[in-house]
Amino acid sequence: MTMIREKAKTVLKNAWNDYSVMFVCLALIMVCGMLVPSFLNWNNFMTIFRSCAAVGVIALGMTFVIISNGIDLSVGSNFAVCGVVLITLQRVGVPLGLCMLASCAFGVFIGFVNGAFIAKFNLPPFIVTLATQTLLRSVVKYITNGATVRGIRDPFFTNIGNGSIFKGFPVPFMILLVSGLVMHIVLSRTKFGTYVYAIGGNETTAKYSGIKVNKVKISTYMLAGLMVAIASSIEVSRMASVSPTLSGDSYELEAIISTIVGGTSFSGGKGKIPGTIIGAIILYIITNILIHLNISTFLSGAVKGLVILAAVLLQKRDRAQ
Amino acid sequence: MGSVLEMRGIRKSFYGVEVLHGVDFSIEPGEAVALCGENGAGKSTMMKVLMGIYKKDGGEILFEGKPVETQNPLKSLALGLSMIHQELNLVDQLTIAQNIFLGREPRLASGLINYKKMNEDARKAMEMLQEFTPVTTPVGQIKVAQKQIVEIARAISCELCKVIIMDEPTAVLTDRETAVLFDAIQRLKKTGIAIIYISHRLAEIKHICDKVTILRDGNLVAVKQASDLTEHEIANLMVGRELTDTSAAPFTGDPNNIALEVKGVSDSLLKDVSFQVRRGEILGFSGLVGAGRTELMEFIYGLRKVHSGEVYLNGTRVSITSPDQALMHNIGFATEDRKLSGIIGCRSISENMNYGYLIKFVKAFVKKHKISENYNTMRKKLNIVCSGSGQLIKNLSGGNQQKVVLAKWLLINSEILILDEPTRGIDVGAREEIYQIIYEMVKSGKTVLIVSSDLPELLQVCPRILVMYEGRMMGELIGDERTEHNIITLASGLPISN
Repeated sequence: MTMIREKAKTVLKNAWNDYSVMFVCLALIMVCGMLVPSFLNWNNFMTIFRSCAAVGVIALGMTFVIISNGIDLSVGSNFAVCGVVLITLQRVGVPLGLCMLASCAFGVFIGFVNGAFIAKFNLPPFIVTLATQTLLRSVVKYITNGATVRGIRDPFFTNIGNGSIFKGFPVPFMILLVSGLVMHIVLSRTKFGTYVYAIGGNETTAKYSGIKVNKVKISTYMLAGLMVAIASSIEVSRMASVSPTLSGDSYELEAIISTIVGGTSFSGGKGKIPGTIIGAIILYIITNILIHLNISTFLSGAVKGLVILAAVLLQKRDRAQ
Repeated sequence: MGSVLEMRGIRKSFYGVEVLHGVDFSIEPGEAVALCGENGAGKSTMMKVLMGIYKKDGGEILFEGKPVETQNPLKSLALGLSMIHQELNLVDQLTIAQNIFLGREPRLASGLINYKKMNEDARKAMEMLQEFTPVTTPVGQIKVAQKQIVEIARAISCELCKVIIMDEPTAVLTDRETAVLFDAIQRLKKTGIAIIYISHRLAEIKHICDKVTILRDGNLVAVKQASDLTEHEIANLMVGRELTDTSAAPFTGDPNNIALEVKGVSDSLLKDVSFQVRRGEILGFSGLVGAGRTELMEFIYGLRKVHSGEVYLNGTRVSITSPDQALMHNIGFATEDRKLSGIIGCRSISENMNYGYLIKFVKAFVKKHKISENYNTMRKKLNIVCSGSGQLIKNLSGGNQQKVVLAKWLLINSEILILDEPTRGIDVGAREEIYQIIYEMVKSGKTVLIVSSDLPELLQVCPRILVMYEGRMMGELIGDERTEHNIITLASGLPISN
């Protein structure tokens, strides 16, 4: 009897360790549903999904970076620049596909620059990406002269951000799920993913084991840059415009929150992609329910702050066990 | 004269293993006593007990005839006991005076620091040691020997200072700097300060110390006047233990089949080091801490840049500048500090085992069944005790962690395996198992280099032992020459006398 109980306990504990974010998300949905019955409306969920897609995609890249014990603060500014690149090229008549490719290439390039400084010169990721964040934001303001850049409405392109597959299921969320699946496979099934975990767990051992630490680190930042560009395409398509000041503003924080809430260890070595996606959803459920409850959106930051603290406390408890 | 400090019957156990078996020690004012012993003889433990860093399990400490009960490092300082650590505890950004008075700065009535008094007192302390660098110089700008003087000044500026413990103070000093330090020590002795001197350099001990206290395996072996002993006698006393079965299986392979040759390695520490090792041989490296053994291995493994030096694998010259290249040349390296550079604690056993395998044999996608096959094979072969492939490696015992590290190198078919302190922190049973794994490997034609500070281990496992001293190859011991006495003699920088 005790053995069965012990066994049940381990099974539950393992389930909690692996799926705690999911349980938290479901509990949150139930609470929200009780507070505001209309929250449980199908269309409301679709709204949440649509709005969380861009940050969610950025958070996928952020997850790689944080697992490798890095951080990328430049994603928000990079996001704006990628958007400007896309719109500017579109306006001079470059085919849409090429515009998106160029935007992605730019995002990856910024990631490469970040990674190169961090890996080759052994600089702290926080400082390097803080510098690129400031630099890019300033550059994008200069290029656009501080004014919002408007894009050309293209029926196909508009669909990326605004379209739905069936019954209002948003295309952007679909993009998040597909990129999430790809990133999940990369992280859990390739040797590159294994190295990312290894470097975050113990960089010295990783190096001594023969892993090319610099190469892997640079790759994680490049991957993060690619995700930023994809997210930027989604948002540009939705808004058909880029604001040099507002686009991507504080997205780095939202992406980090999604990642941490999703169970990735801030000190590296641990974390999973599905957790991050759910983390992004939780973040936008909070924003959504505050609107439903008619609470000032100025307070959403306070709630998000509390959520981070709760997530970190939960992680700490896991580790203590 | 009465003793300023006396320790009686000190006992100390770690995890149920007693490492100090009732050791006595005493020192008089103005006396310098050397504390000698091999690595692990209990010198550091003894001093840490004295300073209150460790709590003693038995025995008593008398300071000026009065028993000292509850100890902690702060109380020890207040008593007049200070310790100068091997790695200097100075803040580079602060000035000499600030460092000397760190944590006990003289204050003005307003509560601000009285810099005038501080600098003045610091200058006095430094001058007493014949060191005239301005005390407002940041410590980062002075030489290592001067830093040592600053540490001593810190100790003597505390008015109560009666006993100073020096742990390997000359390990990082040049000969000239050592002379300066010895001068300072002589002056301190004249003022009645007692000095406990820990060093591996026997010549220094003869030179500077009045008395020699020798520890062996946590027992007090001898207390003698330094003038009554020769360096060789000190070495003998340090070793002295009944020799365990030292009959390492002799090398039976082809003596002309050289698997690895290293030629003329020189840099800031290593001095023209060369050696050869044959296929299927177990070659041991002995020497004191800091002799350059680990650094030599790091060079072979591509981790250390040197001024000059060549590596030949099976007669072909190779250039290895990073661990991934070493791995591709089938060289494996199990480091001395498992936690720091051997394992990734927060990842699973099977992942830790397969890093090298992934690098060498996997294209991009990891085949789960292959990984678990590797895990199963290695778990059986090396008898790794664990709850499953997904168990985090940090939750394993030291011996099992080491087996996982060995498995990592076995999985890439390492032809040459470098083991740095292969059984450090590993219990006797697992130790024997690890030796068996090593024997298995050489039997299948692989080559093993072992760096170890554990003499019985080297004698038991390695038919040939190279001894290093201060970056130089001091000598090679084969067959009957491999005695603890010979190793200690060479490792202390002395030639072997017959």
